[in-house]
Parts: sequence; structure tokens; C-alpha cells
Amino acid sequence: MDKPLLNVENLSVSFDTPKGVVEAVRGISFQVGQERLGIVGESGSGKSQTGRAILGLTPGRVEADRIEFDGINLHKAPARTIRAIRGRRISMIMQDPRYSLNPVMTVGWQIAEAYRVHTNATKREAKQHALDMLTTVRIREPEKVYGLYPHQVSGGMGQRIMIAMMLIPGPDLIIADEPTSALDVTVQLQVLAILDDMVRDRGMGLIFISHDLHLVSSFCDRILVMYGGQIMEVLEAGALDQAEHPYTKGLLNCLPDIDRQQGTLPVLRRDDAWMNRKGGAGGDVP
Amino acid sequence: MIKVENLDITFGGGAQRVHAVRDVSFTVASGESFGLVGESGSGKSTVLRAIAGLTPGWRGTMTVVGQTLSQRRDRAFHKQLQMVFQDPYGSLHPRHTVNDILKEPLVIHRMDDGERRILRALDEVGLGPAYRFRYPHQLSGGQRQRIAIARALILDPKIVLLDEPTSALDVSVQAEILNLLSRLAREHDLTYIMVSHDLAIVAHLCSRIAVMNRGAFIEEMSDEQLRTGTPEHGYTRQLLVASKGYDRAAIDQFVEFD
Repeated sequence: MDKPLLNVENLSVSFDTPKGVVEAVRGISFQVGQERLGIVGESGSGKSQTGRAILGLTPGRVEADRIEFDGINLHKAPARTIRAIRGRRISMIMQDPRYSLNPVMTVGWQIAEAYRVHTNATKREAKQHALDMLTTVRIREPEKVYGLYPHQVSGGMGQRIMIAMMLIPGPDLIIADEPTSALDVTVQLQVLAILDDMVRDRGMGLIFISHDLHLVSSFCDRILVMYGGQIMEVLEAGALDQAEHPYTKGLLNCLPDIDRQQGTLPVLRRDDAWMNRKGGAGGDVP
Repeated sequence: MIKVENLDITFGGGAQRVHAVRDVSFTVASGESFGLVGESGSGKSTVLRAIAGLTPGWRGTMTVVGQTLSQRRDRAFHKQLQMVFQDPYGSLHPRHTVNDILKEPLVIHRMDDGERRILRALDEVGLGPAYRFRYPHQLSGGQRQRIAIARALILDPKIVLLDEPTSALDVSVQAEILNLLSRLAREHDLTYIMVSHDLAIVAHLCSRIAVMNRGAFIEEMSDEQLRTGTPEHGYTRQLLVASKGYDRAAIDQFVEFD
């Protein structure tokens, strides 16, 4: 990897609760270049909190030695600097378009707005850009879709609209948190293909957060496997069969395999020893 | 055990009319596990809900354990047929303890010996008596789904309808619930109809699988046929390809099926 886009060192996120401090992310380190990086884990593994902490979107307490993006330490930067980066240079795609779009504005207006707040474009220019963007995410009849409200579009189309909205300011890095989990499999893959093409064509970095190990390994260049707020191991794409950590292996084994009949599925046995690692097991710390 | 003939369901009228299920027929033998697969909106859950009596206004003929069903179901019917829902966060009453939840079907069906039945049901789903007086929010997703399964089984039904029973759960928990369902089917000689969008899960639990699209059955096959990748219909083959993960070249070949 040449110069990484994002360099995260010793990131922790914790929450104060009546029952004491909950550590959602425990001192992880990783880098992202112009690549597709997958973060996989089960619920509660800290994968989403990791993504949110980068943009300062978590209500938890974030601690880090550095979260460096293009020479700027996001962790220590003033709110004004973060605002100039968030959405413009690093953007985030959330899971369900129905909750992330404004229900009382047309989708076209929302995409155009995303362009206008980050540039000095006129309304007319912004609309033209929004229409072009709708075409790029392969929406037929962009003029018609421009005037629709979020409840009038399907889940797959809603997610393509979200992608259009997040990509229109031309960010360098995209954080996608389970962007396709609410969609049917075929639609899911079609939406991913659009995201994939755009990331490739524009040379962006992508952090893809998902619970689906197989999907991530077929889609991403590199995978971080998270458990209990820590990175268990880092895998090259397509090298799932070379996974060494018992957690990764256990996760893979407990999935029903369509190619063979299994009487009983192997059950994942959790080991307390996995929680005792200090720092990221990523090995990517320079 | 279950025979469905020419089941047809529409919702709404006029321009809003939705033809949810189109002329669906199938039979399920005693002790068999039958799977319904399809994407969202394919009508798979509506078929299940019609059998359970949760969808009024269906047309066609349905026979369950030798009895022809009318629109209304009596208590004896529900004693034979129970259902487990998708979301264990929504299907358990948040202000009822596990004990209340498991007791309710017993009270409705005026069954005696509640204490013993509740403890046995808890034991069967792998939760001990320690869980008896907990509230749903004190349980994990997997534990909640175990309670939902215990509630379905406490009446000793012959048939259990499963509507995406593991799709709200993590994969490691999913494996535990699937193993539990397999064991219970063996031990109690249960007949299952399971709805899922996941081909691998259906192929794992069911011996016969029907694929649905836009309200109609596209094809019916054995788990073996699905496994060996020999479905006849293009739609099923496309689903099969999609379930194998991201493949940029294959995605460009995807087509819409009507």
C-alpha cells in the first residue's frame, strides 16, 4: 500500500451505562488505501462503532492515538474542520434508505442538496448533476425518479439513491455500514456492483461493514474480522479458507452449506482468551 | 398432513389491488419439512399466514390433518398447528415474563399441569428453569427465539410453521436454532413448513423446496436437486448464483422475471 487514505491507531469507543463502562471498540489499528476494506463481525462486535467513530458520529467516548485522514488528525480536529470533511471527502452510507432519507422531500431534491451544500453550484446546476448521478447509479427515467418521495421507491432503488447522494460531492473515502442487508440477494448484488464500479472508476477507498462473511470475502480486497471490539485477524480477499483464527473458522463452519448435506451444524465455541489481546491484531501498524 | 389446492389471495381493490398469491397448490406429508423460498413480495409469508388463519379472504381449498379449513379456525386447529415468527424482538410481549408467555397457550387451551409443561418446554429448547421468570429484554435474540419456539411447542402441536425463524439472528446463533429445530422435529415427529429467503438454510432443514416469484410457484424440487445445482427454472438458477456471493461478471447477466 502506498500512502494510506486513512490511518487509524489505537481506536477505542466506550459508553458509560448505569451498569458501568461498556467498551465497544478496544484499541484497534488499521489503514485504508484506495481499496475495498471489509469489516466483518457479529452484532456487538464493534464494527459499526468503528465506522461511526471515524466521522465522529457516535455518542460514545472516542479515544485514539490518531485517526489521520490526508494529514489531518480527525480525532483532535476542531468541529469546523470535521464538518468540511464529513460528507464532502468522507461519506457514509447507512443500512436502510427508508430511515436515512427525509420523508417529506423528493429524492431528487435531497441529492441536489447534497451537491449544493458542498459546492457553490446554482440550483439548476445541482439538479443537472443530480440527474446525471441518478443515471450513473443506473436508474431508468431519472427525470421521473427525481420527483418521487422516499416512500414511493423500492428498497433497491432507495439504496441506489443513497449511493448517488453520498457520491455526488466526489468523496475520497466511503464508509458503507451494511448498505445492502435490507435488500433481496439479486438486488443486493446489483447495488454492490454499482458501488464497486464507482469506487474503481474514481479511485476511492471503501470501508464496507457487514455481518456477511461470504459476501465480504467475495467483494472486498481485504477483510478485518472483529469480535468483542477487537480485530481478530486480517485476511486477503478470497482467502477465507486460509483463515487461522478459531473465531473466523467457527463463523465459517456454522453457516449451512448449500453444496453439501450436514446433519448437525457445528456450533461456534467462544473462548475468553480471544478477548485478552492488546491492540490491533491487524499487524498493519507502521 | 397438509394439502393446499388452488390457493389464491388478493389484497385491496381497484387500482390498489395486489394479487399476492396466485393459484398455489402443494402437499406436505406427515413428518416432512417443506420449504418456501422467494424474494420479498413473492407471497411466501402470505401462504404461511393463510394456513395459520392470519390472512382472511383467501380462496381455494386447504386441508390440515384431514380437516378442510374454513375462514375461521377453532381452538382444536390451533392446538395442532403453531407458528414461530421472524422477529423475536417483536413477537414476545415485553411486559410478560417467560412464565406468562408460556402459560398463555396453556390457559387458552385449558391444559392442566402447567408447571411441569413449562419446565419441560424450557428444558427442551435448551434453557433451564433459571430463565422462567425473566422478561424478554433480559434475554439475547437467540434466547428469545428459543422462548418463541417453546411457546409453539408447549401445546404438543403436529405442525409448526416457521416464518424466517433465524433471519434476525447472528450466524453463530442461527446454527444453534437450526440444530434445535432439527432435533425437535426428530424427537416430536413434527411437520414443518419453513419460509426463508436463504436457499442454504432451506436446503439444510427441508427435504422439499418450492420456489416462489410474484405470488406463484415457479418450481418444486428436492433439496438434492437444489444442492447439485440442477433447478430447471432460470429464476431459481439466478437465485442460486446470487447466493454464492459477489461475482461482477455474473451480475451483469441478471434479468427480471415476471
